[in-house]
Order: sequence, then structure tokens, then C-alpha cells
Amino acid sequence: MTTSPQENTSVIAAQALTKIYQRGREEVRALDAVSFTVARGEFTAITGPSGAGKSTLLNLLGCMDAPTSGTLRLDDREVHGLDERARTELRRSTVGFVFQHFGLLPTLTVEENVVLPALFARRSSARRAEMLLEKVGLLHRRTHRPHELSGGEMQRVAIARALINEPRLLLADEPTGNLDSATGYSIITLFQQLNAEGLTVLVVTHNAVMTAAARRQLALRDGRLADGK
Amino acid sequence: MLTLVLHNLLRRPLRHGLTLAGVALAVAVLVCITAFGTGYRQTLRGELDRAGLQMMLVPTGCPYDDAARVLKNNTLENSLPASALDLARRDPAVAVAAPFLMAALPRTDTRRTDLWVGLDETALPLKPWWRVTAGRAWFNGPDEVILGADAAALEMRAPGDKFFSPETRREFRVAGVLERSGTSDDSIFFIPLATTQAMFAQTGRLTAIAIRLKDPALVREAAPRLQEIPGAQVVTMTEMMGTFLNLLGAVRTLLLALGVIALTVGALSVFNTLLAGVVERSGELALLRALGASRTQVFALITGESLLLSGVGGALGLALAVAGGPALENLVRPWVPFAPAQTLLALDDRVLLNGLALALAAGALAGIYPAWRASRLSPALAVKME
Repeated sequence: MTTSPQENTSVIAAQALTKIYQRGREEVRALDAVSFTVARGEFTAITGPSGAGKSTLLNLLGCMDAPTSGTLRLDDREVHGLDERARTELRRSTVGFVFQHFGLLPTLTVEENVVLPALFARRSSARRAEMLLEKVGLLHRRTHRPHELSGGEMQRVAIARALINEPRLLLADEPTGNLDSATGYSIITLFQQLNAEGLTVLVVTHNAVMTAAARRQLALRDGRLADGK
Repeated sequence: MLTLVLHNLLRRPLRHGLTLAGVALAVAVLVCITAFGTGYRQTLRGELDRAGLQMMLVPTGCPYDDAARVLKNNTLENSLPASALDLARRDPAVAVAAPFLMAALPRTDTRRTDLWVGLDETALPLKPWWRVTAGRAWFNGPDEVILGADAAALEMRAPGDKFFSPETRREFRVAGVLERSGTSDDSIFFIPLATTQAMFAQTGRLTAIAIRLKDPALVREAAPRLQEIPGAQVVTMTEMMGTFLNLLGAVRTLLLALGVIALTVGALSVFNTLLAGVVERSGELALLRALGASRTQVFALITGESLLLSGVGGALGLALAVAGGPALENLVRPWVPFAPAQTLLALDDRVLLNGLALALAAGALAGIYPAWRASRLSPALAVKME
């Protein structure tokens, strides 16, 4: 397969990406021939109402699910046709994920939560974890457990965790959805800062400030890309 | 990964504590049963080896039952003529032929039955444990009795004391009290052979003749000759051992079945705990997958929990077996045929290691399905369960 120069600079290249779920006898077309690219260093916001297919798209981009049809290239690697093991490997090395509800393990300390993806990737991570915690302003909380942190602090820990394996792409699912506006704003600033450092960021959001902060917006409706800027 | 496993287990202390208790109990029961069989065999062999016997001459009938009864100082319904002793002693392969006459005497004042054994001095080489704590080690006259350690304690008699047997209306003087030997001799009333024959109206009769050969290798050669003695049959110690172990076999099979059931229940308890944990933590396990854990790593995580549960449970079970084994032995002992007086439990390293290995194997087996189920969780669930 040949690759165009444009594909070489894109972190995401989706072509006619389609996902169909079977709900009983009914076919649900969650994503319908979605095509777009995200260039290296872009900050993209995906918006849309509930049921528009945002989570489905995030799952496909995070190699957590396989499309029914269409092709997807992540960091110049073809995802289509990869088996489960290879998809896990690609997810581990290429994608960092931030969840709306933080997804921190309650039994682990802040530092243990941050190094978790590195543990699965069998990478040494202590120094990087320290650096990332310092970056998100939580080095002094490294031995604390999630229940001792505020919502904003938990999301910062989750962001540090998403960055531990030095991903090319940061995916976030409503990262400010569970935060008050002031705390949400600090998270948006952190995303902007990371993007400014060269990290490609793609955020699914309902937050108008976050959408505005992104340099590019994609709107999903009924599984289709409504418009793109 | 171990930290993750540990934290997960410490999260539900009551649930996991109960599972540990179940595994510990199962392993303790199984280890005690295994140790019991091994201990029985070892103790029995020890008793036979110490006696230095190669065979017994017993009255015709069921030879194994007779020999077993004699060896454990139980009475027989049949008896041998005294002529059998002369014939046995004349055999060129025989070094020692020691006659015994045994009688059970039910006590009218208590519910117990005393065992009286008549013997002559030829029996002494066959009883290397025959040492007295007080008094003399042999009789000075026909009306003297030597008491086993337990018999002396029960009768509260010391050397020189008089001892009256109301059932036979005979009075004895205690010549000596034997040291505790850990054999069935501890509970016996020993008197001279001729006295026993007169006391129980068995003049010229014997219960059995214990035989030591000049060379143990002569068993095959001597046995057919001794078998020719009228009214007697030969039982070798090897055959005896087999008889004892056969008798034990039924009890052991029953106990082993109980042990296997206990271990199965323990394994099911681990299975149930792990499966409940996997269902409960589906979102969290999917999150681990989303963070880059492979299916194998999630499988290893749950298997690690299973092994830790069963390993710690197994270790607690071993401690429980060591601490509670003697009490269990006392419970089981009355059901064991011809139980040696010494401990039946051989809780050696091999038995303990086997117990731990079995617990780990059961744990690994119990963890397979929950671990497989956890490993199949889709990472996409982490986003869906948000």
C-alpha cells in the first residue's frame, strides 16, 4: 500500500469509517461512513448530541473496538485487520486516554495510578511519572489516594497517566464533564499547554469553552460528520 | 502487578477473609488425612521393626485377623497347642520363638476391659522397649504382675503394691512398672505364661508364637516348614503389614473422600469470590484494558488473585493442621483398626508441601474461568460504563 505525503503527517486518517451494532433484530448504524484526518499537533474537538456516535468514534480511534467497514490509520499504521493483540499494542504505544469520570483505581496511590499504563507496557516510568506529576502540579500529592483529591486533581492525575507512555495522540471523553467551570477551565488550559508542546489532542466535549479552545471542531450527528473546519 | 493483586484482595476483607478460611479449613483437613495415612504406616512399620519379628504362628482360622489381634495384644477365640512351641523352636531357622497367651477380662466395677498377657523370658528380646521405671523387669514368682505405664496409672499401683483381681479372685504383687513405650504394651497387665494359662483355664494352650529368624532372609525357606505344624498357620510380617493397611484402607478412603470434598468446596469458594469480583469490577477491568493491559495481563491479574488467595489460605491451613492435628487424631483414632499407640499424624515437610501445592493447584484451576472472563472484557466497556 502506498501512502500520500498528507497521510504521513496525519496522526489520524479515517476513511468511510462505519460501525454497525446489532440490537436484537435491529441494526444500529452508530457511525456512518465518517472520513476525516487529524494532522500532527492539531487540537480537535468533536461535538454532537447524545447518540451522535461520539463514544463509538472514540472507541475506534482508541483501538478499543474494530469498525464494521472503512479504514483507519493511526500514526501511519493501518488499524484495519489488526488482531486484538496488535490493537492493544498500538493503543498502548500510540494513544493516551482521559475519561470523564477520571477512571482512577481507588486502591492505588496517585503515583501508582500514573505508572499503570507503563507497567502494562513494561517500561520503566518512575522518573517520567515524577516529571508528569510535577507538570500537572500534583507532585506533592503522589502518595495520596484518589478519594483524597478534588475532581480537578483527579482529572490532572488521569492526564498524567495518559501521558506516561509518551503517546502521539491524546484522546479525551468529556474531560470537563464532571468538573465545575473554574476547574474545567484549568483542565482546558492544561490541554492547550500540552497541545502547544506538540501533542495531538482530540476531545469529545459538550463544553463550549473547550470547543472554542480547540483549533478545529468536528460535529457528529446521527453517526455522520455534519461539518468540519 | 503484585501490588495491584494485593490491593484488590484487601478491598473486600470480609469476602476474601471467608474465602481464606474456607481454603484453610479444606487444606487442614486434607493435610491431616494425608499425614494420618503416612503416619499410620510409619508407626506401624516402626513397631514391627523394633520387635524384630519376621513371622507369627497363629491358630488356624483367619490368619491375618489372628496375627493382627495378637500383635495389638487383642485376644483370639482359638488357641495353639503347647506342642506347636516345641516344634517351632526345633526349626533350624528359628532364633527366638516366644509364646503368648492373651485374655480379655471385662471389669465388673467399671466398663473397661483389661488385657492380660502371659509370656516367658523368651519374649524379652522381641520387646526392646521393655524397661521399667520402677521395680524389677521380670517376675520373681507366679503371682507377680508387671504393669504397662497406662495400666499402672489407671490402677494407681507402684512396685510392691498388692493388686487384687476380683473377677478371677487372684491376688498379685506388682513387680515393676514399664516405661511408656508408645506401643500397645502400655495398657497391658503382664504375668507369667503359666499363671495366665491357669487363671484363664487355658492350660497347655497358647494364643500365638512370635518368631524371630536367625536371618530375616530365611523367611521363604522357614515359612513352609512352620506351616506344617498341626493347628498352626504362619503369617509373615509383610503379610501382616498388608493386612493392617487394608484394614486402614477403608477408613482412609472415607476420610480422603471427605478431604477431596472439602478441597472442592474450598476451590468453589475461590471460584465464586473471584467471579463475583470480576462481575463487580467489570468497568475497572475494562479500564485496565483501555489503559493498555493485554488480555494475558488481565488473565494473569485474576490468576494472581486466585493463587494468592489459595496460597495464603493453604499456608493458614497448614498452620491449622499443625495446631489442630492432634485433636483431629483423637477424634479419628477410635475408628482406626488396631491403631498404633504412637502418633498417627506424620506432618513432615513432604506432606505439608503437597498440601500447599494442592491448594495452589486448586486455586489455579478455580481461577481459570473468572480470569478468562475478565480477559474477554472489551476495553470499550470503560467508555460505555462512564
